[in-house]
Amino acid sequence: MPDRILKGEAMIHFDNLGKAWPDGTKALSDISLHIPRGQFCVILGPSGAGKSTLLRAVNGLMHPTQGQVRIDGTALTHATQKQLRRRIAMIHQHFNLTSRLSVAANVLSGLLPVVSTPRALTGWFRSEHRRKACGLLQRVGLAPTHLKRRAGDLSGGQQQRVGIARAFMLDPEVVLADEPVASLDPKISRDILTLIRDAAREHNTTVLCSLHQIDLAREFGDRIVGMRDGKIVFDGTPAEFTDERVSALYHGAHWEDPPKKAEPEAAGFELAHV
Amino acid sequence: MQKPIPVPAPGSQVHWHLDAPYSLRHLLIIAAILIVLILTGQRTEMDKMVMMTTEAAGKLLGVADDSQVVRGLSRVATSMWPPVLGETEEISRLPEFKRDQLPILSRIEVQERVEQRMNTETLQLEPHSESVEVLVKPVGYVVSVFIKMIETLEIALWGTIIAVILSAPLAYFAARNYSPNQASYTAARGFISLLRSAPELIVALFLVLAYGFGPIAGVLALGLHAAGFLGKFYAEDIENADKKPQEALEAIGAGKLKTLWYGVVPQVLPQYIAYTAYILDRNLRMATVIGLVGAGGIGQELKGRFDMFQYGHVMTILIAIFIFVFILDQLSARIRNKLI
Repeated sequence: MPDRILKGEAMIHFDNLGKAWPDGTKALSDISLHIPRGQFCVILGPSGAGKSTLLRAVNGLMHPTQGQVRIDGTALTHATQKQLRRRIAMIHQHFNLTSRLSVAANVLSGLLPVVSTPRALTGWFRSEHRRKACGLLQRVGLAPTHLKRRAGDLSGGQQQRVGIARAFMLDPEVVLADEPVASLDPKISRDILTLIRDAAREHNTTVLCSLHQIDLAREFGDRIVGMRDGKIVFDGTPAEFTDERVSALYHGAHWEDPPKKAEPEAAGFELAHV
Repeated sequence: MQKPIPVPAPGSQVHWHLDAPYSLRHLLIIAAILIVLILTGQRTEMDKMVMMTTEAAGKLLGVADDSQVVRGLSRVATSMWPPVLGETEEISRLPEFKRDQLPILSRIEVQERVEQRMNTETLQLEPHSESVEVLVKPVGYVVSVFIKMIETLEIALWGTIIAVILSAPLAYFAARNYSPNQASYTAARGFISLLRSAPELIVALFLVLAYGFGPIAGVLALGLHAAGFLGKFYAEDIENADKKPQEALEAIGAGKLKTLWYGVVPQVLPQYIAYTAYILDRNLRMATVIGLVGAGGIGQELKGRFDMFQYGHVMTILIAIFIFVFILDQLSARIRNKLI
């Protein structure tokens, strides 16, 4: 493991990030984290811990109520969002393909931010763009026969491969993967994560990936960040993420029906803060 | 030995209630509905309608002596039968008539015509007969009705095309999640309501004043009304479309129009086709009516013949409209089965 992956210059900065929903519940509170360039950072935690919210703060799909996110030194604001989003790709749990469009059109839609409107509306993409789409589809393990098929007709694993190809169309510097394998079987999950990791390594892309599978997190993550109740309760390498840490993260004080809302610190585990 | 599940005693459970499905409230609602039906039924003479229809049925079965309905209908039927198929034209009135080049399916006949003429000497009306050469076209009127039908089809087609062209931008501005701001949304929705609230026939009436008699007014009347309909339904489909592909495109900063084109339109296309097919179907039927106010097509012919008391011609037109709508229904059912 090269040292720069763990301690290098930060690509993503979360500065005291907080998000409170209109009803007052806190989705994120005081998150401070920096992700070095090229790192595959896995975010673990029970459902509702704020993993998705954290990811969506990076490309401005969610606007924090406190603190800020910086991408490569640039703070994400309404003014910078449009430019920054082109550098950040996203892979989704439900693939989020346009199911009635062809595989090729879905992959090419990853270029929409940089393609002129007439070209986009007529679907007349440049030949180098079309070649790039073919190259990526080949890279993610699909066949030429898939090009013209409707995305919705493919299997889940194949759809996620299309999603990955779409995400890499703009040579992203950051890939946000929001539970990319949550609806796939274990074998395909491993294939998909391998694809994301290898593609990211080839392009020195930073990956922020939320997961539910602990074994996959340990296998693929350069670093694991554990979240619960909108807070970071673990931050370390896969080797440091021991079984005790796992049970602290998932069970903790909330394993029993709590009579009152306990703070994670009350669980009595040593918690790694950034 | 099976044990029955014990039934809790009434009032023994504090937090569990499962009320009987109907209550006094339901009875009151039913009573209110009945009162409304009785009041409105009386004002629309539904009682009289039932009586007259029963009387007509009685007359047909030979029970009742007389029926106003049957009398009226039979009077209409006798004056409309038989439908007029042919046309005759006086050859002397036809300019550029060539005797050696007769139109197909036509022949020349000599007809005796008796007219009452004023005798200038006696100042009396006297019968005066003369023989006139006429060109007889046995199915001439059928042919001209057919041509009018084609014109009607064309009006419906162009009405639909104009509706689609107008409604696409309308739908964009009338979809809450794509409209640039509240003002454009309200304006688009208001315009759609305006278009939908104006019936084709009324719109055509005014457009005839603006554009004159003929198909322009018909096409625009059908197109404007249908644009309101399509705009509303297209917009609602945009609003209800699956958010997931849109989010994926929004996340990379694709911009609204491109997101709509790649994330929404392909998903809602089958519904759009269905709405447009319905509008075409509706326009085809409306196009036959719209001519009544002079907006072209078969309706205009119908109105003209009706006003000249040529009920035989009216009958031919009505039969033609029936055959036309019937064939279209069959066709559209087949096309719909193929598309969906």
